[in-house]
Order: sequence, then C-alpha cells, then structure tokens
Amino acid sequence: MEKVIGIDLGTTNSCVAIVENGVPTVIPNRGGYKTTPSMVAVTEAGKRLVGHIAKRQAITNAENTVYAAKRLIGRKWSSPQVKNAVATSSYRIVEGPHADVRIVLREKEYGVPEISAMVLQEMKLIAEDYLGEGVTKAVITVPAYFNDNQRQATKDAGEIAGLDVIRIINEPTSAALSYGFGKNVEKTIAVYDFGGGTFDISILEIGSSAVFKVIATAGDTFLGGEDVDARIIDWLVQGFKEEHAIDLRQDRMALQRLKDAAEKAKCELSSVRETEVNLPFIISSGRNEALHLQRTIDRKTLEELSADLIERTVDICKQTLADAHLEKEDIEEVVLVGGMTRMPRIQQAVADFFEREPCKGVHPDESVALGAGIQGSALTDDKQEMVLLDVTPHALGIMTQGGYFEELIPQNTTVPTHRTKIFTTSRESQTAVKIVVMQGESERAEDNELLGEFILTGLRRAPKGTVEIEVTFEINADGIVSVHAKDLETGKEQSIEVTASSGLTRDEIKDMLEGAKDYMVERRSTEEFEAAKQEAERIVGEIERLFPQVEQIVAASDFGRDAIEKARAIVTKARAAIAKRDVAAVKAEIEGLSRTHRMFKGVVAKTH
Amino acid sequence: MTDDPRKKRSAAPTEASDAESENERPTVNPPFDVEAFARQASGPSSQRKFSPEAPTQRPPPPGALPSFEGGDTRAQQITLTDEAELEAARVASTMRSEPPPGRPSALSIADARSPSSGTHTAVVPPRSVTPTSIEAAVLGAIGSSAGPEITERTIDDPAAEMRERFSLGDYTGALEMSELILAEEADNLEAAECGENCRSVLEQMYAARLGPLERVPMVVVPRTQMRWLSMDHRAGFILSLIDGSSSVDLILDVCGMPKLDALRILQELVQQKIVAFR
Repeated sequence: MEKVIGIDLGTTNSCVAIVENGVPTVIPNRGGYKTTPSMVAVTEAGKRLVGHIAKRQAITNAENTVYAAKRLIGRKWSSPQVKNAVATSSYRIVEGPHADVRIVLREKEYGVPEISAMVLQEMKLIAEDYLGEGVTKAVITVPAYFNDNQRQATKDAGEIAGLDVIRIINEPTSAALSYGFGKNVEKTIAVYDFGGGTFDISILEIGSSAVFKVIATAGDTFLGGEDVDARIIDWLVQGFKEEHAIDLRQDRMALQRLKDAAEKAKCELSSVRETEVNLPFIISSGRNEALHLQRTIDRKTLEELSADLIERTVDICKQTLADAHLEKEDIEEVVLVGGMTRMPRIQQAVADFFEREPCKGVHPDESVALGAGIQGSALTDDKQEMVLLDVTPHALGIMTQGGYFEELIPQNTTVPTHRTKIFTTSRESQTAVKIVVMQGESERAEDNELLGEFILTGLRRAPKGTVEIEVTFEINADGIVSVHAKDLETGKEQSIEVTASSGLTRDEIKDMLEGAKDYMVERRSTEEFEAAKQEAERIVGEIERLFPQVEQIVAASDFGRDAIEKARAIVTKARAAIAKRDVAAVKAEIEGLSRTHRMFKGVVAKTH
Repeated sequence: MTDDPRKKRSAAPTEASDAESENERPTVNPPFDVEAFARQASGPSSQRKFSPEAPTQRPPPPGALPSFEGGDTRAQQITLTDEAELEAARVASTMRSEPPPGRPSALSIADARSPSSGTHTAVVPPRSVTPTSIEAAVLGAIGSSAGPEITERTIDDPAAEMRERFSLGDYTGALEMSELILAEEADNLEAAECGENCRSVLEQMYAARLGPLERVPMVVVPRTQMRWLSMDHRAGFILSLIDGSSSVDLILDVCGMPKLDALRILQELVQQKIVAFR
C-alpha cells in the first residue's frame, strides 16, 4: 500500500510526516532538522535554493528570495493582503495575466503556486529519501480561514510538485487530530497557533465519530516569531549604534548575521535565562577597523521587547471567543502549536487568559504535520475509522440591497449540500436582478470574497417586493458550487457554476509541472553524480596514499610494475570520467578502483 | 627591501584605507606560458580580440589571443621568466604611465574622473603596496613592514593600460582598469569583456588553490580567540557561514558576494590558517 505523506505547508516553515507501523512520525531533512524553511531563492548563477540554504542568504539576496508565499497564494492582485505584501516584501510581486499574483526572481515570473510547489517538492524529496521509495499522495494542511481559491491554489501547488493531493485539511483540525490520536476525546478545545509568520486561534469541537468541527477561527497573518526576532534585532542595532555610532542595518551582511543570531537567541531564551550574542567582525568602521558585536540578552529583556506582540494574540483570543459566543469556561483544553509557544511568557499568557494550564502534550512544530500524516493514513487504511468530513470552510451566500451579505450555506456545512432561499425585488418595476455570489463570514458583502455573478432578466414589472426569486446554492461532492436563480412566477431561470481557481490555467499548471519534473531529473542526476564522484575520489585518495608503499614492495618484479601501471591507468580513467561528469562511467570505474584498493591493502598488509 | 620590486608600486594615500581591502587581490603567475603569451599579446594590436569564452588554464591558441582594438604597440618587449620579473614588469608598465611633471593633484584627478569632465584621464585605483597574504604566499616572500611609498599618478589611456596589464598576466590590475573604465562608460564592451575574462581567470586561480569546491571548510581558530584576528567584516561574514557542514560551493551560493571576492576571502582564510578542510 502506498504511503501518504502529511505536509504542513507553513508560512515560515514546513514539515512532513507519515504514519509508520501505526506511529505518526515526522521525517527529518538531510540536515537533521524536522522543519524546513518555506523559502525559495534563485542565486546569481541561476541555481535554485530551497529551505535552510535559501534562508541563510535571505537578506544578502533579498530581491531573489521568496518567503511567506503562503500569504499570497490563491489571492487576487486586487486584494488588500497582496497590496500589503507588495509594499513590504523585498522580492518583486507583479500582476499576473488572470488578475492573479506573480513573483519575479532574476527576471523570471513565477506563479505563487509554483513557488509553493518548490517547497512541496522539497518535502516530497525528504520523504522519498527517508522511505527509499517514490511518494505521490499527500494530505496538505491550510489555515482554517483559507477560501476555496486558496485551497485550490494549494492543491495546484501539490500537483506541480508531482503530488496527488488527496485531501486538504485545516491546520487547527490537524493539530487537534494529533492531540486526539489514540484517545477517545469529545471536547471543545482551543488551538493557539503562534508560528514564525502568523498567529491563529481556533475553537474546535471534537465530537463522537471523530467529527472535528471548527467553530471559530481568527488570527493575524502578519504576526509571528519573526516580529519577535525583529525586536531583538532592533535592540542589538540600537545598542551597537550607541556604542559605535554605526547603523548595522545599512550593511546586508551584518543584518543577515543579526537575523540569524536574533532567532538563535530567541530560541535559546526559552530554555535558559540569558544568552550571549557574539558576532565578531560584524562591520568595519570608517577607519577600516573591524568591530565586534558582543551582548548578553536575558529572558526578561526579551519578554519586555515582545510584550505587546503577546498581548495582541491575547486580544485576538478574546475577540474570537466573543464572536463564537463562548466563555472561557467552555474551553476544555488549550493546545499550543507553533514554535513561539515554547516561550515561557507566552505559555503564561495563555494560561492566564484561559484560566487553565495549556496542554503541552503535542509537539509545537510537528503536530500539524503529524495530524495530516494521521489523516493520510486513515484515508488509505480501511481499518482506521477516523475520517474527517469535508466541510465548507466559509459561509456561502449572495449580496443583497445595501451591500449586505445574505448567508445561504453556513460555514462548516458538510458537503454535498444544497440550500434554497426566496428573495424579492428591491425597486419598483425592476425587470432584472444581479446575483452576486460571495464567500465569507462578514455581514458586509465587501469584506467577503467574490466568487462570481450573473443577471436574471425578464422579470415582470411590478411594485418592489412582489416578484419572488428563488436562489439555490448547491455544492457537489467535488466541492463545485452551483447557484441557480429562478423567477417563481415565469419560471425563467439562470445559473452559474463556480469553480475555485488558483489564478493559473490548466496549461500553465501543465507547463509548470513539466518544468518541475525537468528540475527533479537534473537534480537527481547531479546528486547521483556527486555521490559517485565523492566515492571515486575517496578511493583514488586511498590508492594514491598507498602507491609509494606498494611501489617499494612490488616494483622489483615485472608483475608488480605491471600491476602498478594498471592501477595508474584505472585512476586516470576514473579521473577522466569525473572530468566528463559521466555518472555511468564514474560508477563503472568505482568497481575497478575498489579492486585496486583491496589489492594494494592486501600487498601492504602482507609485508607488515 | 628595495629588492622587492613591489615596493616601487604607488598608491593614493587618501583612498587607500577603504579600497585597500577590495584591492588586496593577488597578482600571480598566469596559468599558462607567460612568455609566449606576452610575446603574442605585444603583436599588432588592431587585430586582437578577446575570446568570448572564459579563459582556460592553457594559453589561447595563436589565432585567438585576447586582444584589444586600438591598443598602442608597446615600445619595449618584456620577457618574463619568473614572478619577480613579472612584478617588475608590472611596475615598469606603471612607471611608463607616470604623469608628466605638473600633472593635477588628487582633487583635480577626482574631478577628471567625474562623467562631466569629458576627458579620458583616469586615476589608477590605489593598490596595496605591501603584499597581501596571498601575494606573499604566491610570490614566496614578504617584504619589510616599512610604510608604503606613496605617490599619485594618472593614466591617460585606461584602455591601453588594461590591455597591457592583461597581456602581462596582471589580471587583477586589468580587472581594476576595466572596472574603472566601466564606471565612466558602462557600455564599453571591450572593458566588460576584459573584466569578465579577468574574473574568470582569477576565479579559476583561487578555486584551484582551494581545491575541490565540494570540500567542507572548518574554522580552526577557537571562538574565544577569533576577535583577535586581523580581518575585515567581509571575511567575518564568510567566516560566519562556515559551520562545519556547508561545502565551499554552498558557501559561495549563499554568501551573496561576487564569486571572485568570496573565493579570494576564503583562500585568504585558508592561507592564514583560520580555516582548514576536513
């Protein structure tokens, strides 16, 4: 049975997990880290960097390093979030051909799903390296507030990465799955998720039959651990400026080092009370003398620096509970998710607000991916009963007079479903009505996402409020939304089918998929060559080390001289294969090299 | 002291501090037969063109020698036999460019360099008078620590100077001249091409000295002693990227510096025994 991987495609970090022998496991990357930065960069030489490597050069190559692409995925160019990102991002964001968003790296335009696909491809590779076999199926998590377009864009990203995304699930649901795995839980829980780039709070009801229902969700997509890092950087920069009258922000290399050091210090301060930031040769002074940055930061300072950020998360929790008409007492458990929740002050703030100790039973960085892994396993294993139901992530409805939003299908309704409502005309002698289909939770239509619109014409001229129009919303099992409007008097009908779109056409996705495949082939072949080359060079080194001794021992005989000549020829051939970058030839030479090496070792051993 | 021909090099005092570290690049034996190459290069200059390909470790074939249009035919053939003679030749070439008496001061030279001046007079960027560690290693000798002998000079024809330096195998010098020309005339194809070729040769030289770029460098100086080392912030940055698991290739990818600068710094760090390979 093919393994299904669970991927937490995060704003700042991503994580991949599987269920192995019934145990959910996070897969470490080649560097041994269990999370991989969701960053993609293109170097001056045109090389693609993903993950930690991209992060290490994020400031020195800021224009060509994409971070937090998740904030842009599936959004329209006109959305306020995109405008915000255009103003604040170091990389170039431009309008795409379908009113979508494109990112420019080294003069080449990429679709946002294409960038996310690069991260997903990396996660796929990590899983494949670990499992030793190909992986094609995945469950990917998204924030609970993601609309259909954003979910579709995430699916498209998976497709470009060569993954069949068998299910998209909500991040808090996934964390709750991880929390409830192996337990028979029926509770109302809060998932407090404070990650690197975003903060989310979700209230979920875990019911019988493993039904996970998101009652309320809210957050701030521009509030995360990076803001805390920024505060530490400010503090360090200010201190240095006071001492040396030099602004370290002016130097990208200094800033890159500061960013890395700030993040490291923040993490360390979750377990120790103070730590030292030591950055020798951080900058050169006007007199060309190198200056060093050395400062000690303690936990109290960090807490002071980040107090308002923590307070903001508490305010959002307060608002979310109020919106959901829930009291603190209704929350039976608080699950902490996201790396920032390791910070003792945050744990304390959460405990103070919810008036209960938060559950620390789930791993803050891994629980979302683990939940996705659990779901993936459940979807392919008939024995496992736990299955999440597909629900509408947001309410669906139409715009009515005055710019209000009239909900027809509430949030979290299990699909497939259909609902009908009767509307009337709002003007005297009105002969046509415009049906504006929207998705969202706001009472104000303008705050919700526009899905489509159509006009029903030929209505009877009559006083306002007398012509009745029946509007029906239908969502089929594939998540496709159809809206029908019918004049009940004349029977005239008009309809629209709304399909979620990532902003990419099928042809574009196909092209990107081909590009991703080519990249993988090239990468695999480079890796294969590098591995063979290293092995060959290692043996060549060993042989060369033994040459003088072997020559001394056997050179007296014709046979010995002949053997040495042959050995030299093999080494020369191996070197030539390496120079030609011919992987098959290098692999073939390894065999001869190994034989020669064994023979040389034997000769030397016999004489000792 | 005076035996070292490099002592005769000149530098502008006011610019030395900032630019020194930038220009502490080695001038080394070119990776081919210098004598033959210099002989070829001094041929009829109007027929010479740069090869579009990056220079290789071998001398270019006779028909494809790096060359420049409009270059002056050199009055004197210099035959180089070793590094000391090479450097001496470089100094000689510099001497030939010495300004005539009564040439303008540093200030007026700076004016002349500005785009509005309309003249072609250029100032040679300051060069390190004492050898860098790399130069010392390559040339095999470190001179006395006496202070630099400082003079200033102008070059009437930077393009000719660039060609000459290139023909002498002084790629660092030729690169400096090409950068100087490009600063004033960004679309000068000849300078761009020459700069590109110089960079390529120098990169190959440094890379060759570093060995296979897949090797993983390590910092061998204890962290506590690091601040007592003598290096600039760029070297400090490269040092911060050396984590014991990243290869030279990877460091070059992530450092965000021009490859040549990064290779030079890494090579210096290895030379100074601050960094070693596993």
